[in-house]
Amino acid sequence: MKLFKGLFEDAPLATRREITPKLGFALTVLFAIVWLIPFLWMVVATLRPASEGINAMAELMPSVKPTLDNIGDAWEIGDFPRYFLNTTFICTGILLVQFVTITLAGFAFARLAFAGKTLIFYLFLMQLMLVPVLLIVPNLRLVAQLGLYDTLTGVMMPFFASAFGTFLMRQAFEAIPTELEDAALIDGAGLLQRIRHIYVPLSLPSFSAFAIISVTSHWNDFLWPLMVINSPDKRPLTVGLSVFTATAEGTQAWGTIAAGTLMVIAPLLITFLIFQKRFISSFVTSGIK
Amino acid sequence: MLFSRRLMLGLAMAGALAFPALAEGPTEIDLFFPVPVDGKLARDMGTLIKEFNETHPDIKATAVYTGSYDDTLIKTRAAIKAGKPPAAVIMSANFLLDMQIENELTNLDSLIAADGTTKEQFLGQFFPALQGNAVINRSVYGVPFHNSTPLLYINAEQAKEAGLDPNKPPQTWAELTDWAKKLTRREGDKVTRWGIAIPCAYDYCGWMMETLTMSNGGRYYNEEFGGEVYYDTPSMLGALTWWNDLVTKHKVHAPGATPGPAVSTSFISGNAAMMMLSTGSLTYVRDNAKFAYKVAFIPRNVRNAVPIGGASLIIPAGLEADKQKAAWTLIKWMTSPEKSAWWSRATGYFAPNMAAYKTPDMIDFLSKNPDAKTAVEQLDVAKPWFATYKTVPVRKTLEDEVMLVLNGKKQPKEALAAAQKAADELLKPYNAETSLKLP
Repeated sequence: MKLFKGLFEDAPLATRREITPKLGFALTVLFAIVWLIPFLWMVVATLRPASEGINAMAELMPSVKPTLDNIGDAWEIGDFPRYFLNTTFICTGILLVQFVTITLAGFAFARLAFAGKTLIFYLFLMQLMLVPVLLIVPNLRLVAQLGLYDTLTGVMMPFFASAFGTFLMRQAFEAIPTELEDAALIDGAGLLQRIRHIYVPLSLPSFSAFAIISVTSHWNDFLWPLMVINSPDKRPLTVGLSVFTATAEGTQAWGTIAAGTLMVIAPLLITFLIFQKRFISSFVTSGIK
Repeated sequence: MLFSRRLMLGLAMAGALAFPALAEGPTEIDLFFPVPVDGKLARDMGTLIKEFNETHPDIKATAVYTGSYDDTLIKTRAAIKAGKPPAAVIMSANFLLDMQIENELTNLDSLIAADGTTKEQFLGQFFPALQGNAVINRSVYGVPFHNSTPLLYINAEQAKEAGLDPNKPPQTWAELTDWAKKLTRREGDKVTRWGIAIPCAYDYCGWMMETLTMSNGGRYYNEEFGGEVYYDTPSMLGALTWWNDLVTKHKVHAPGATPGPAVSTSFISGNAAMMMLSTGSLTYVRDNAKFAYKVAFIPRNVRNAVPIGGASLIIPAGLEADKQKAAWTLIKWMTSPEKSAWWSRATGYFAPNMAAYKTPDMIDFLSKNPDAKTAVEQLDVAKPWFATYKTVPVRKTLEDEVMLVLNGKKQPKEALAAAQKAADELLKPYNAETSLKLP
């Protein structure tokens, strides 16, 4: 209710009687509720005993006798601790290499002069328009030739360079005044030192925005890991989860699926809740809204 | 992991020096498998493979889960192209022709001959209806593993309540329409219970269209040749019009394209009194239905006929001889009467190996669950599953249009003409190489 007070009583005098902020607020609350319903359903379905039957499954009202059986079932079907470990390893591995590559590539496109710079940059951007599915066979062939078939490195490799990240860092670096770099140059700083001490610290919001996008997209990637990984102990969460959600000829155990899904998204959700403020501010300052 | 593997390798090398005879470890093979039914079966598959490894010390098979039937095809193809073919795959039975055209399959004839049996003897183990999807140009390319036919599931209690006799299920489309009308419940304009539900999602939709077209006297595709589909024909038009009429004219079928799991869910929850679904869902229905139910043949308009569904075991092309041999051992073991029967009881698919029905466990099971017999009885009128060059995209041209019809955005006639045109376009290169290539 503090929220409403802020809108009506504590609001600055000029806006206290205006309709637009109130309308905006109402819409935001509405969207938040719409967004929350499937999430709530997932939590409710996870805790609902299977004995209440499928009829009850569609209800949003929580069961009077909640149970942890579904979580236990999901936990037993999938080797979740290992899936978590694999997914975490894949996401952080990709991100760390990406940080290096996008910083250097972004800097090159922002500050260095070389022949064909614009053309190469456009070629980079064109990569954004390719559907990843198109590259499955050539990528997989390459991964196999390098001896990385059925390895986590094989899953990570195609994403070590990121066209989007390069573009983002180029924009961020271009916004930094060259005078700062010139000053460092006079002090005798080498190229890598200038990147390390001037460009990187001043672009941290862009880095964190990119990190969020990179981690969430690789956390959720399904098809590519499915192609590369054969060994059950190397499955990431998405592939592990789909073992009991993908069905062709019939049937689904909704409670178990909800429990599995909850476990898969929980780490991302918790991270978001903890770093909420920082996430949002990084998007605002990096210009992605 | 890497370390331990290296350690193992080191030990193996040391062993090789000391005892050359013991040096050869088990042949390691991968089996790709999709999970077409309840996900707990992934665990059952693990049990099956574990038992195989325990009884065959010279082979170490790993069961690799590969998504839906369509995903499994993508993964298998990508693995073959990357030079890492799996040793064996449980492949949707209708993908075999397309894979054979693309030279992605091992011809099993020589493996069968090496066992000292003839093709006829080998195929004779399986129901004759399954051979159409396993034999291409008189060579064996697949071994039937778990198969299905569509069935009509009826909520017996709701039928009785509506004054219908569940022991005399509808046999014609006219009777089925009549049943569906009587079983639909309305409160004003709102429907509280649908008379019938038929699934339409990728993969399922094409199969249901084939089912309806066949019961309407028609064919979906040229069973002898992979370059022709018969979308724009009277038999298919009649089938799609009837399906559409259930939605728009009789209002006994929910509008929109409903995926399989939603259909089984609404049947189990009593929101749909009848459904057409695979026998592969039978175990799920048996375990979850809190009411008496009946399964029956798919009703006919012109004749009784259904397509085969399910999957066969295949060996991809390009494997080393020892892996091929190990895969063949695995395939023969998995399709043996006992294993086939065990898997059938776990899933609801019928066992393709006829001898499976003579095992004591199966006789006992059938006496307790007579509903499991229906799909087997229906095999007498079963025909091969739709298979062409580029099966999946050709199937999707039809499915996209059928979904438009069920969503009320197109009329059956124009939808089928559009589907035919799109499919012909996809089949063009193959026809140019085969039927249109003149000497």
